[in-house]
Order: sequence, then structure tokens, then C-alpha cells
Amino acid sequence: MNVITDTLAWLTDANHWTGPAGIPTRLAEHLALSAVSIAVAIALAIPIGIYIGHTGRYARLVVNSANLWRALPSLALIGIVLPFTSAIDPQLGFKVYPTLVAMVVLAVPPVLVNTQAGIAGVDRDLVEAARAMGMRERQVVRQVELPLALPALVAGIRSGAVQVVATATLGAIFGSGGLGRYLVEGVAQRDDGMTWSGVVLVAALALSVEGGFVVLQRVMKK
Amino acid sequence: MRTFRKLALGASMLALALSACSTGGSGATIKIGSDGFDEARVVAEVYAEALEAKGFTVDRAGIGLGSRKVTAPAIESGQIDLKPEYIGSGLAFYGGTSSNSSEQNKTALQQILNSKGGGITVLGYTPAEDTNAFVVRKETADQFHLAKLSDVAPVQNQLKWALATDCPTNPLCAKALKDAYGVDQPNATLLDACSGPMADALLKKTVDIAELCSTGPEIKTNGWVVLEDDKHTQPADNIAPIVRNDLLAKVDQAKFKDALNAVSAKIDTATLAQLYYDVAVGHKDLKEVASAWLKSAGLVS
Repeated sequence: MNVITDTLAWLTDANHWTGPAGIPTRLAEHLALSAVSIAVAIALAIPIGIYIGHTGRYARLVVNSANLWRALPSLALIGIVLPFTSAIDPQLGFKVYPTLVAMVVLAVPPVLVNTQAGIAGVDRDLVEAARAMGMRERQVVRQVELPLALPALVAGIRSGAVQVVATATLGAIFGSGGLGRYLVEGVAQRDDGMTWSGVVLVAALALSVEGGFVVLQRVMKK
Repeated sequence: MRTFRKLALGASMLALALSACSTGGSGATIKIGSDGFDEARVVAEVYAEALEAKGFTVDRAGIGLGSRKVTAPAIESGQIDLKPEYIGSGLAFYGGTSSNSSEQNKTALQQILNSKGGGITVLGYTPAEDTNAFVVRKETADQFHLAKLSDVAPVQNQLKWALATDCPTNPLCAKALKDAYGVDQPNATLLDACSGPMADALLKKTVDIAELCSTGPEIKTNGWVVLEDDKHTQPADNIAPIVRNDLLAKVDQAKFKDALNAVSAKIDTATLAQLYYDVAVGHKDLKEVASAWLKSAGLVS
């Protein structure tokens, strides 16, 4: 059978749009997992990025180790984390937390590195001028460096978010929900329509996230 | 400069072509594949080493390929030449009716495979059997008084289920459970059959009932209870190498079959469970486990 007709048939089957294994549910699971991962990554990476960007302390060490993190294979990380998290919570600790941890690790480096570069890249003359006007360090960060570094921050979040949305599919191997289920089950059941529908949905989602950020970045420029 | 590049490219292509010839020149390379779980992988490795000991050339790239939905088209299309097959499950996969008789299963599977991929031959099967097993923890068995699968139906919704990823479309899984036992669990957690995550899910109490292989080392290690398949839905699942006929035509058939049949004859259920245990729990290297056993069984020197 033709892959394209199989995929279209699968995607247009009304049964695949309802219930706990339906596309809306899987999409919601996927988005929830990705959103939480990105939120945690932002909460971790931006403060650190601001600190090292502003002070210049440990900058090389942190940026280099963040780049090393990127080399950690997400799949291995899920497997490594699973025994620990599942000991804490047998349900979420097995099906959700391992993937969440791996996705946070995936998203931290781009956000952190971009934040640091954005803050450190602010014109030093401007920073000195702000200090000369009597601003405290905290005010310099909030009122001068952060606004100027914002485009770089958003670019970092964008790159992290797209990676997370595309990679969160891995969790399905360990029973997690999300769009990855269609890939794992489609391959095991040799249901090409299901597999390719999963591929199409994940790609479409990643592209929409990318597109959303493009729009956001345009709006910010104005 | 440009001509030099073209020459270099040509030379490297030629070298590639030559190296491809040299491996295929003296007797064909036997491309071995297997299901994804450790037991199937170690048995495939045992067959691979037994063949190598007799001077055959093997390619192991297909070992651990995945579920039957993946391995079946692989052998039919010639991506792999040989696979250790669970004859009962294999028969059911092709729509045959598998029984408790190993010999009947083999004959029926052979009849089907005669017309698949230009002909595939089922060689001698192992005395060892491995069936799909539905397993619960001891305390779950005690709490709900579970000894056989019939006991499960009335309490099925009080249990969290983990079933194989291919379960929804596997006639021996979802369909058998529903038809024979009235068990219907469309929302079960789906994990790879007989895999680490499947056993982990039961161990960590993520689920209460899991589908494992009856030879699965975790069952013994954790004192888990295998529920008796009292309606006999799971077939006798001995393992036999299945081989493409076009490969058999390229090799010394008698020598090839003898090498594999000698190995199969010596794999009993205890051996199979031990091989599986050494790889899955002992985390020993596949090749080490396979070659150590082949030596101890006197199959290679």
C-alpha cells in the first residue's frame, strides 16, 4: 500500500481523533510535557545565564560544560534516570519524569548559552553609562542588559523548544504518552499509516512552534 | 586538479566494489537477524558463532532488529537470511492456528513459509520452549487470589496492565485475551515484549500485571507469579532457525543444516533461561555468553 494514502487514511479516520489514544489527547500530552520541560529549563538557565553574563565569572566553564551536556544522548539519559524517579513515584516517575529530565537537559544549553551571550554582548559603554548615572548592579541588569539581551534570550528558548518538541517522542519507548506513541506502536505493529501520521504530526508541531517564535520575534522587533 | 579528484573518486569506488566482492566471493555471507529482546539476540548469536566455527561468514547487523512485524518483512525481502523463530508465535503471526504440538506448529509454519519471500525453510527446533507469560508480583497474586488467567477477568480493572507494543494487533495477545478470558485492556501501558522496561514497570509497581517471556530471568529473581494460561491461548513456542531458500542454494546445505540442527538440539529450556539470564541480568557480553555455552556444550572447540 501507498504510504501517502495510508497516512491520509489514518489521519482522517474519526476514531483516531477521540479517546485516550486519540490525536487531541496525545497532542495535549506532548505539549504539556514539552511546555513543562521548557519552563523548568528557563527557570534554571536564565538566572545562571544572567549571572555569568553580567559578572563574567565562570563564563567559559559554564558555557563549555553546557555545550558538553548537549552531547548527552536523551535516550540514554531517560534510561539512567528511570530507576531513580520510578522509585519515588511508580506512575509519573516511570512514564513522565525520566523524559522530563532528559528534555530539561536538552533545553538548558541553548537557553543558557544564548542568555550569557546576550547579556555579555551588551555594549559595555552603555553599562558604564548606566552605572555612571547611579544605577545599582541590579538595576543595570534589569533596566539595561535584560531588555537589550531579550532577542538573544528568545532565540535560545526557540531553539530549545523546537528540539524538545521533536525529541520528546523518545519517552514513548518507556511507556510515556505524547505523539511518540504513534511512532513506537506504529513500528511495532508495522502500521505504516500510524507511524507516518506520527512523523507528520511531530514535524507539524515542531514547525508550528518554530513559526510561533518567528512571529513573536518579529513583534518584539517593532 | 579536477581530473585528480575524479580519479581518486573512481579509485575509492573500485576499492569499495572489490571489498564487497571479497566478502561475498567464497560462499555467501549469511545475514542473521532476530527479535529485539535479549533471549532472541543471544540465540541468534549462538547460531552465528556455530556457523562461523564451521567456516561460514556471517553478518550480525540484523540481530535485535525488532518485533515480528519488522523481522518478517526483513527475511521475506532478503534483508536478513536467517532468524531464530518462535514457531508458535510465528505461525500465529501468519494467521495459522498454533497448537500445543511443536511438530504440528513446525509443519504448519513450513507450509506457510514455502510461499514467502521465494521460499523459507524451517530447520530443526530446540527442545527449549518459551511462551508469552502474564506475570504478577507475589503480593498481587495473594491479594486478588490469582493463579490462572481466568482469575484475572473479574478483577482486571483493579489492575494496571503492561502489554507488548504489538499487542493490539497480535492475534495471540489482545485478541486471545479478549476471546478466551474476556480481558479487554485498550489503555494498557504498551512496552517492548520481554524487555527491560517491561520488567522494570512490574518491579517498580508502575503496573501490576506484565507480559514477559516465560524464560524471563526477572520472574525467578523477583519471585513473581506466572499466571497459568488455563484456556491454552499461548502456543508451544520452540525456537527454530528459519532460513531463506536462496541462501541455502548458495552454501553447502548439509554442512549448514547440520551445524544449526546440532545447536538447536542442545538448547533445552534450562539452557535457554540461563543464556537469557546471563545477558539480561548478568549483563554479560552477548558473544562471551554464546561462545562459553557453545564450548561447554562441546559444539565448538
